[in-house]
Amino acid sequence: MRLNFRNAVALSLLIALSLAGPLARAQEKQPAKIKASAIQVMMIRADEVTIPAEFQVSLYEQLINQLQKKGVFQHVYRDGDRTAATASDLIALQCTVAGFKKGSETMRQVTTVGGATSITLLCQFRNQAGASLLDRKIEGKVRFFGGNLKATYDFAKKAANVAEENFSPTAGGD
Amino acid sequence: MISRVPVLLIALTLLWCDPLIPRSQAQQAQALTSAVQVIGIVGVNEKTKGTLSLVNKALRFSHAKGNADVDAASIEDVVTGRDSQRVIGGTLGTVTQIAAPFGSGRILSLFRTKLDTLTIKYRDANGGLHGVIFTVPLGKAEIIKQELIARGAQTSIPTQADPNKTKSDTKEKKP
Repeated sequence: MRLNFRNAVALSLLIALSLAGPLARAQEKQPAKIKASAIQVMMIRADEVTIPAEFQVSLYEQLINQLQKKGVFQHVYRDGDRTAATASDLIALQCTVAGFKKGSETMRQVTTVGGATSITLLCQFRNQAGASLLDRKIEGKVRFFGGNLKATYDFAKKAANVAEENFSPTAGGD
Repeated sequence: MISRVPVLLIALTLLWCDPLIPRSQAQQAQALTSAVQVIGIVGVNEKTKGTLSLVNKALRFSHAKGNADVDAASIEDVVTGRDSQRVIGGTLGTVTQIAAPFGSGRILSLFRTKLDTLTIKYRDANGGLHGVIFTVPLGKAEIIKQELIARGAQTSIPTQADPNKTKSDTKEKKP
């Protein structure tokens, strides 16, 4: 009887430890967020990879829309906006096209396996002095439904999520 | 007594000029085409249907809930979908017609409306850069582009330029 009780205690301890381990590690993995209350989105650069003008503009506008929707930053400024100069804790986001594969909406509708559009961008978050705060490669895709420009929406959502995970208007806050 | 001949001449001249009067007034608001705003105009939902017209020196997008004007002089770049295709060297949907099974791609293409895109980059009063994409009926984008350029808009891809030729020229110049 005593043996059974000991076994039960040992088992419950083992379970508790096995659950606590990953939880503690997950908490360790989350770094403190960088303080930033405003962001200036620069026009998408396509230096080495040529993309259609409509993709460039759609990437830029979707990125601004998604950052505004997330509400991570108090202000989202556009490229060249002079009023951004007065903002405190301003960071700049410069995205450069690293890869582009234009698919086909018709091909997706007909074959369901081919015709995917994908676009990869290197996103660089920098402070006012120009120092790099965070660099990430983010990919936008459209696989099954929707026009080619939907890849830009997918990219913008992912980029806004990265901003939400790493930046906050309060220092080190959530 | 007034002679009947001059009166008749004046009357005929007025009658002849009458159709010209409304035409000159119409130049103030020149309707161009129906269009869909894909993205970019502040306060207007994505994929909003409307019409594009030129009012004085501005491009006007009229939709069910109002108008949005973009001053032609503030436009830094106006590019059509055809311009982009020339630069990138794409093909006009022929790949899908070949790859689709049982010729279904060809059937699908019959139902698809032929559209062109018009992409505009412009600056607001604070210097902020905006981008707008419209879809317009095929062939209309180039007309709008030319009208905007005539009113002070700029373009990165001139209509007559052949980018492939320019690229090869630059390659030849390299040692």
